[in-house]
Amino acid sequence: MTRPPVMSLRGITHSFGAVRALIDVDLDVSAHEVVAVVGDNGAGKSTLVGVMAGALVPDAGEVVVDGREVRLSSPGLARQLGIATVFQDLALCEDLDVVENLFLGQELRRGPVLDEVAMEREALRLLAQLSARVTSVRGPVSGLSGGQRQAVAVARALLGEPRVLVLDEPTAALGITQTAEVLNLVERVRDRGYGVVLVSQNMADVQAVADRVVVLRRGRVNGDFDAETASYEDIIAAITGIAPTRRRGGVS
Amino acid sequence: MKTMDAILSAVPKDRVPPGSQTSLREANRARIIDAVQQRGAITQVELVGVTGLSAATISNIVKELTAAGVLNTAPTSRSGRRAQMVSLARNLGLVAGVHFAERSLRAVLADVTQRVVAEQRLPLPPDHRADSGLDRVAQLIEEMVDSLGASMTEVLAVGVGIPAPVDATTGMVSASGVLRGWDWVPVPQVLGERLGLPVRVENDANLGALAEHRIGAAIGTRNLVYLRASYGLGLGLIVDGHLVHGRSGAAGELGHIVVDPDGAPCRCGKRGCLETTAGATALLGTLQADRGHLALRDVVTQALEGDAGLTLALAAVGRHLGRQLAVVCTLLDPEIVVVGGELARAGAILLDPLRAELAAGALHGTAGPVPVVPAALGEQAEARGAVALSVEASRIVVAGGVG
Repeated sequence: MTRPPVMSLRGITHSFGAVRALIDVDLDVSAHEVVAVVGDNGAGKSTLVGVMAGALVPDAGEVVVDGREVRLSSPGLARQLGIATVFQDLALCEDLDVVENLFLGQELRRGPVLDEVAMEREALRLLAQLSARVTSVRGPVSGLSGGQRQAVAVARALLGEPRVLVLDEPTAALGITQTAEVLNLVERVRDRGYGVVLVSQNMADVQAVADRVVVLRRGRVNGDFDAETASYEDIIAAITGIAPTRRRGGVS
Repeated sequence: MKTMDAILSAVPKDRVPPGSQTSLREANRARIIDAVQQRGAITQVELVGVTGLSAATISNIVKELTAAGVLNTAPTSRSGRRAQMVSLARNLGLVAGVHFAERSLRAVLADVTQRVVAEQRLPLPPDHRADSGLDRVAQLIEEMVDSLGASMTEVLAVGVGIPAPVDATTGMVSASGVLRGWDWVPVPQVLGERLGLPVRVENDANLGALAEHRIGAAIGTRNLVYLRASYGLGLGLIVDGHLVHGRSGAAGELGHIVVDPDGAPCRCGKRGCLETTAGATALLGTLQADRGHLALRDVVTQALEGDAGLTLALAAVGRHLGRQLAVVCTLLDPEIVVVGGELARAGAILLDPLRAELAAGALHGTAGPVPVVPAALGEQAEARGAVALSVEASRIVVAGGVG
């Protein structure tokens, strides 16, 4: 890899009481790259998402963003530093419309009043960038499909011009059409130059869009694969721990 | 939407004695419907040429089938004369076309006139497998039909394109190793049983050729070469108006022409195939050392944005392809070469060096070098060809149905 990573996690360790959820985890994400994080239940994926989102402060380890060591001590700070996280529940307000959801808490103002026109224009621009098929930005979010909601949540995350987008299980519980839309969305976000961390259980989805696949097993990194050359069996072996392997890219 | 049964019951279905006037008429009807199914839309005059029936017979049968709701006619003109364009009636049902590419699939729903009514793309893992791929595509078709407010009973057939040679009789990949996850899978049975529909399978480059020939950049030609330049390299050849399959469907596997007998091993089991020098795996492999992991679309996009190194890399691919196409064009002397697939998006960056090598290497007479054009249907070409295939596979007239 010649591109320097935009975000590096170094030696992240975190425990919940006696349970060690993450042990010495390293993770690099470059611009224009999708890094998938896979692993069994309890492997530490959610804890890792929590750390990147600023919701959990790890016991040890450092986070480097753009070459500077930072402390992700709160979700707000993580966002400011350019790490935007879309959680599995998406955290959208059902009865607000798409524009209101996008700008909730960060409304554009013009003097004392909200600048609805500017917000709507920006919303349309963002959704068009993502080629998201959202019929009306003024309709309530409750009327949207799972794939469309994901697009709105991603658009909201991209509003702050982040460097890295963390997606937690974006295709879980979606039908195949909506899964297709989300995977296309991931490709487009990556193609626009963002770094993407895709946390998922679904190997078909992961291998379809990822550039690299990082396997977590019992809180440790148990494999870092080039998505193009690694086989399904290699990755499954690392997830289940049948044959612990550690190899990295550059195979051709 | 009318169901097939309603349409078919509009005409009597009694069995008729063979050799009788009625059975002859029935055969003629079938012949006309077949021709319309294959061409999509065709004028009555052209039907005379294709079916060999008299103009009066055709006029009568078309009138009858139009009344029965099977065909549709619209006034048009051919060489300045008034003519009657005949197509299938739109409400006969829906057809699905699927293109499994190396790294994505595209599913298209269309009516029987091949007008696209829904489309979806799904990224696929490298070395995807038939079992999960076919399962996903079956779900996708069901969901797409559902989202149109239609039901699966309105779907008549499915056409599938895959990036490997396909044996026409079995629907299986006829060369093992080219598409590893699909070897020995009888696609028509597996998908047909899953969906309860007739399924036809064809090599994707052949489908690209078919689509460009009928509704794309090569309308009106009788001899064309379609190059699908993507992760794989394949040709669809139309000679004298007919798609060339060869003995086992492997005609036109351009990527597996040996260009260097001592070259790198290829996935097909040979050494030094064109794919190992000009294919995507080779291209992306050599770029990986200093550029990291790139997808094929990244190479095209960044070259179009002005990246000099990637422009050179694509130009080299274009020259390799042009050199091999020169051989193909010397053998077949086509009227046009159409280039499709993901790499075609690079436009002149790929096509100019390709044209130069092709012009230098092929014998061309007074007509000048063969024109090389990008696919008019873009990355949709193969899926549109799959739609055309599914229209042909549709049982518009069940044996003993109309008549």
